[in-house]
Amino acid sequence: MSFALPASQLPVAWTGWEASLGARGLLARMMPADETGSSDGRARAYAALLGRMANGDRDALAELYDSLSRPLYATARHILNDSAEAQDVVHDVFLSLWENASAFDLKRGAAFSWAVTLTRNRAIDRLRTRANRARLLGDSIPEDLGYGSESGGPGAGERAELGDRAVAVRSAIAELPAEQQRALELAFFSGMTQKEIAEKLCEPIGTIKARIRRGLIKLRDTLATRL
Amino acid sequence: MIDDRQEELASLHAFDLLEGAEREQFVAELSTNPELRALVAELRAVASGMAHTAPLSEPPEELRARVLASAAARRSAAEPVAFPPALAPRFPSWVPWLMAACLAAAAAWSQREVARSRDEVAALNAQERLAETALDQTRGQLSEAKRQLSESSRQVADLSAKLKDEGDLAHFKIATLASMLGNTPEALAVAVWDPSRQQGVLTVSKLPALASEKDYQLWVIDKQYPNPVNAGVFVVDPVTGEAHIVFKADKHVDSIAKFAVSLERKGGVPKAEGPIVLLSP
Repeated sequence: MSFALPASQLPVAWTGWEASLGARGLLARMMPADETGSSDGRARAYAALLGRMANGDRDALAELYDSLSRPLYATARHILNDSAEAQDVVHDVFLSLWENASAFDLKRGAAFSWAVTLTRNRAIDRLRTRANRARLLGDSIPEDLGYGSESGGPGAGERAELGDRAVAVRSAIAELPAEQQRALELAFFSGMTQKEIAEKLCEPIGTIKARIRRGLIKLRDTLATRL
Repeated sequence: MIDDRQEELASLHAFDLLEGAEREQFVAELSTNPELRALVAELRAVASGMAHTAPLSEPPEELRARVLASAAARRSAAEPVAFPPALAPRFPSWVPWLMAACLAAAAAWSQREVARSRDEVAALNAQERLAETALDQTRGQLSEAKRQLSESSRQVADLSAKLKDEGDLAHFKIATLASMLGNTPEALAVAVWDPSRQQGVLTVSKLPALASEKDYQLWVIDKQYPNPVNAGVFVVDPVTGEAHIVFKADKHVDSIAKFAVSLERKGGVPKAEGPIVLLSP
């Protein structure tokens, strides 16, 4: 028996679940895309970059970094609320992609989802380590982690900086009822358990489960018509 | 056909929010239901799109250089190995003489290498004998460790008997420490603290063994002190993941609020630094 690494430090497993054709279409659609490139084309481009990385091509790593670093860094920073820690997470994620690029298979899912999952898991691991220490020392987790303060769609300045895909996702989330937005934000960014989310929102746990389900399904359906 | 319950569980699973038995049951159901697997994959993709909702934040320029420098320092798993160029097909007439000379030199070198290899084999045999001796010593240490384990168990039994004799559970602090690591949820410990003797017993099970430069360190949290109080380091049996220790705190403890076990440098640290591995409620 040996001391194993947290799950987030291992490569994300490419299970057969994401191989289904139904999932692949939406996986591709959820990829970030610039104003000119199609999602499928972008997915193939990322797959090609990972293939070159698997052969030791560091220029491909630089290209992938330029494409994905912004949403990954923004995600890590929003979860951790700390720039230095977010940089460490993004650094580790790209090294993990570099070292495990040969394990990537486009048929099993999108590179963007892989990278986001790695980033989120590692950031939440750090968040939980920090929370455990705070609890041990008698502190409490800050009451307000700052989520939900920017409800609504992106502003004009942000819109100019975002790709069409990101704008579509943000707009779709902004159309959800506020309580569903809040539940999804906490589910994705906070690292809290169902019970902790319920306690934070002062709602029964069954209500939280239902909000997450309704919000995610509605988000899926909305994006399916727009992407 | 996916029902509402499955859809709800799939949504929660997409955010990794299922835990314990609920998660195990759902994962088992996934293995037999391809339609449900497809739904989970689809919802996971939607959930990953939440990354776009984080407030825009530009990574600093130096991070790019740092990533690329780290990658350059690490060889990619599949990075191709450079092979030497092929030999030229034509060579000058003196080359065969040179090759003959090289062959003669190589033969002499080979003879010397054979002699050296014999010496190395003899040295390896000696090392093997030393290793066997070390193995015997390790077996002896294992036997001693088992004896200590037995002694600790006896002390636990003594404390339990004392509890029973005095019939006064209220004076003892008894706590169960649960795993804080997602990858070792089965790890568990029970701590019993006797305030009158300022002594306790910790029994640990299914905790992973550590690398040689690490130790588990036990802490007691007493609200009169600003920091957790050191209660010593311990190691677990590498096979069973068990440990039984009798411990004392570095300071006098009036009222224990919690017990915790952290992962620290070998020999322990005066103030907790590493990740919390086990924590009592």
